[in-house]
Amino acid sequence: MPFEMNFGWTTPIGEVVLGATKADGGTRRISYRIGGGTTLPFLESSPSSPAPLIAFEICDNPDFWSPIVKDYCGDVVNNANEWAKKADADYGADLVRLHLTSTKQRNFSDIASLGSVVEGVLSATSLPVIIEGSNEPKIDSEVYQKCGEAGQGERLLLGTAEAGKYRSIAAAALAYNHSIIAQSPIDINLAKQLNILLKEIGVQRDHIVIDPYTGALGYGFEYSYSAMERIRFSALKGDTDLAMPMICSSADTLTIKEVREAGDGLQDETAIQWELFTCLAAATAGAEILCVRHPGTIVPLRKALAGMKQPAQSAGVP
Amino acid sequence: MTDVESAKKHGEESLKTRIASIQKPFSYEETAYHLPISYALTGVAVHDRAAAEDVFKKTAGNPIVASECLLAEQTAVKGKEPAPYTGFISDTVIRKLGYSLVDGSILGLALIVGTPKGEGSAAAICRELQEKYMLTFLAGTVVPSLSAAGVKVGLDYRLIPLGSSPFYGIHFVDIVARVAMMFGGVTPGDMHRLLTYAAERAKAIVIVFPGLTDEEIALVDGMRVLGFPILSLGGYENATWVPATPGDVVRQGMELRGIRVNVTAIPIPMSCSPAFEGKSIRKEEMYVEFGGGRSTAFELLRMREPSGIEDGKVTVIGTEIDSMKEGSANPLGIIIEVAGKTMKKDYEPVLERRIHNFVNYGEGSWHVAQRDLIWVRISKEAVAKGVKIEHIGKLLASKFRMDFPQLLDAVSVTLITDPAKVAEAKKEAERVYDERDARIKGMRDSDVNTYYSCTLCQTFAPNHVCVITPERLALCGAISWLDGKIAYEMSPSGANQPIEKGAVINELTGEFEGVNRFVKKASHGEIERCSLYSVMEYPMTCCGCFEAIALMLPEVNGIMVVNREYKGMTPSGMTFSTLAGTIGGGAQTPGFAGISKNYILSDRFLQGEGGIERLVWMPAALKEELKERLEKKLEERGLTGFLDKVADETTAETIEALIEFLERGGHPALTMKPLV
Repeated sequence: MPFEMNFGWTTPIGEVVLGATKADGGTRRISYRIGGGTTLPFLESSPSSPAPLIAFEICDNPDFWSPIVKDYCGDVVNNANEWAKKADADYGADLVRLHLTSTKQRNFSDIASLGSVVEGVLSATSLPVIIEGSNEPKIDSEVYQKCGEAGQGERLLLGTAEAGKYRSIAAAALAYNHSIIAQSPIDINLAKQLNILLKEIGVQRDHIVIDPYTGALGYGFEYSYSAMERIRFSALKGDTDLAMPMICSSADTLTIKEVREAGDGLQDETAIQWELFTCLAAATAGAEILCVRHPGTIVPLRKALAGMKQPAQSAGVP
Repeated sequence: MTDVESAKKHGEESLKTRIASIQKPFSYEETAYHLPISYALTGVAVHDRAAAEDVFKKTAGNPIVASECLLAEQTAVKGKEPAPYTGFISDTVIRKLGYSLVDGSILGLALIVGTPKGEGSAAAICRELQEKYMLTFLAGTVVPSLSAAGVKVGLDYRLIPLGSSPFYGIHFVDIVARVAMMFGGVTPGDMHRLLTYAAERAKAIVIVFPGLTDEEIALVDGMRVLGFPILSLGGYENATWVPATPGDVVRQGMELRGIRVNVTAIPIPMSCSPAFEGKSIRKEEMYVEFGGGRSTAFELLRMREPSGIEDGKVTVIGTEIDSMKEGSANPLGIIIEVAGKTMKKDYEPVLERRIHNFVNYGEGSWHVAQRDLIWVRISKEAVAKGVKIEHIGKLLASKFRMDFPQLLDAVSVTLITDPAKVAEAKKEAERVYDERDARIKGMRDSDVNTYYSCTLCQTFAPNHVCVITPERLALCGAISWLDGKIAYEMSPSGANQPIEKGAVINELTGEFEGVNRFVKKASHGEIERCSLYSVMEYPMTCCGCFEAIALMLPEVNGIMVVNREYKGMTPSGMTFSTLAGTIGGGAQTPGFAGISKNYILSDRFLQGEGGIERLVWMPAALKEELKERLEKKLEERGLTGFLDKVADETTAETIEALIEFLERGGHPALTMKPLV
């Protein structure tokens, strides 16, 4: 017997467009419209929102990257363009998320080089791209300006704005029409506050994706889950300051003890499983974009999501 | 003296005639916004006389529109002016400029036009604008005057020479118009939104030297519509332009537009960060100390008129640290004077308390207590690095400006080390303390219509809402009503929000319509009602930070209080930590309430249950801590001797012992109206 799941939701989640195709003045082969959900994930009888997108994370300086991923991927990690190509063609990601880890080097100042890194990745893949700028307040302003400019017309998703640093990213989003990731430390009120700050500075709601901050499964993920759940409840109940799509990254899982210290030959499988289940849990809590770092996670994750999107009967649920 | 009104009239007439005589078509390169001002105002792309006249008519003969069209034609006919003049600036550059404005690396825009008298005056103004992170545009003879004074111009210097005559000042406005369309979401033709954007968002000022022609006066005066203050440095007679002097014009202009400079680095020879807040400086590590019972010391923060304060000024009266003996105790007076448009006298004590945090932020400086009880130390290490008394002043001045940018426009610090002068200033400080005590003491819940919420703890207690009133501190004891108020003013979308208390539902238990409405919303629909002064009926939710717990003991018809520091067993059969685990997490638990220790002293304490007479038990240490103040309160209420009737762990550790103790002492709770 079908169960009537009417929670009295009033407001759909806002939509955000990622990537611009030729028709919209960009060079992406596809663009995504995320969000738009009208109830909790995987509950729609006829899905009004698509399955979550899977983003593969790469970086321009692998010194700051997980050794497990580096070993698995091989030499390609030293070339962001090739890595992006591979994420697109071989690993089968929906999005490429580029972390400009080179900015983490001590006294980094070669801002101009970042422009060519971004341009390189944009020409290596025609998927929509997420760019993660710097974490250094001193160079933020120049870094985001450069990223925004290099990706002009491509409708990037720029990250990551936080309560203490959002102006530069907001400026880049406004100046070059990109969207931004707004991250708060597992706190619904801070998430809302940041969205209000962004709104005050002029960033439109349909240019914001919430990052509730994702802890690793077993290492605080339940806090993330609870914050996400409440963000989604509030949004569906009509709080437009929270009615944005969410992005979650399972990056923290690669640094936990179980994964780092998994025995020889088990590291990849452990990393994949941990990323997979962290992402699945995040999808259940409502995430529209799931980010992974291990290439092996993408196929099983996509398969699992496809199963969850099917009506309950045919998915084999008793 | 030029009379602006009549010059403007002549100027507008002449612009009108000239616009009719436009011959050639014109357009700017590298822009998608045609003539940006005309386009933004009307949505019409102007490239010839017909369109120019059309737009001019549509904007009721606006002198800015006329000037824009005329300058575009002139540029088309004569070509661009040679370097350094920029003329019309391309969209790409504007995007970068706009970026810096949103990003905050440029605080505002200034236009300087006219002919400065003497070489130095314009140079000094430009230097000040540079120092204050303003992006300055120049038009007219001000440019050669700067070059003559050796001032470099160009985008890299944030001094942009638009053109050789003040007429080029029109590009200043077309930049604002494009920023509004690029960044402000203003659609071309939406005149109203453009004007609102310019007035509210564009932080722009215009500085005028003498010597403008009638047409130029009409153009500059036209910018007032956009909300830009026109600051005149003499030579003009007029009621709407703001008279200013070269020395003060930048400050005045920035103040009129509400542009504030944020301090980012503190120029002192020691590190300064909240990371050092918890450190202490032991006697062996100390170079010199002040107060702490060893010498006279006090601190005082006061509000002043803005004109009376020089921002950032630090004065030391008396000897500096290098002439103090190592290991000695010396007198110290810390006097901080602040000014700000939104600053209020009520905030003084709240801000004054921050001196404690800020001094402790210094790697080699340490501070405890408050008012005339302070105790300050400076470490040997810091003194070796060159830290002086003066630097403590610099640290304070900078931190106050950094942490309260919305509130304070100017902060100056005076540090007194001269013994006679400290003693003298302390007398004045004591008078202020007394005045403040009287004011806060007098504040009642019924005196105000607005309470403040605190939802800081929703991080871990998702539906918890603290309601803070003048007579009831937040249950953590850390945030008073004034703190809530000031926090809200400083960060209007933060965790402390105003609550209109609304109509009274129950005077005794402190239930208000407005409070209920707010709590319901802020608790995400979980909590329907909240009574502020009751433990039994709809008590406030508890997060986990409460200083103490008040709970009902049905056996004795009374209420006991246990504080966090007390580790032992209570007559309820539960320890503090067991109790805390039962009631925390944002839940509403009738019969239990999280409270601050000071709330016990409030007249509202247990009001819903009949007042403090219900109090039957609290730990001896807590009794001792509150004793002096509590006894005074009890005396006022005719309850002298009541505290002796309240049991503690030395007189009653179990409920049986408690019943016996209360009966023996004839505790009033036993005969009060039944709680349940």
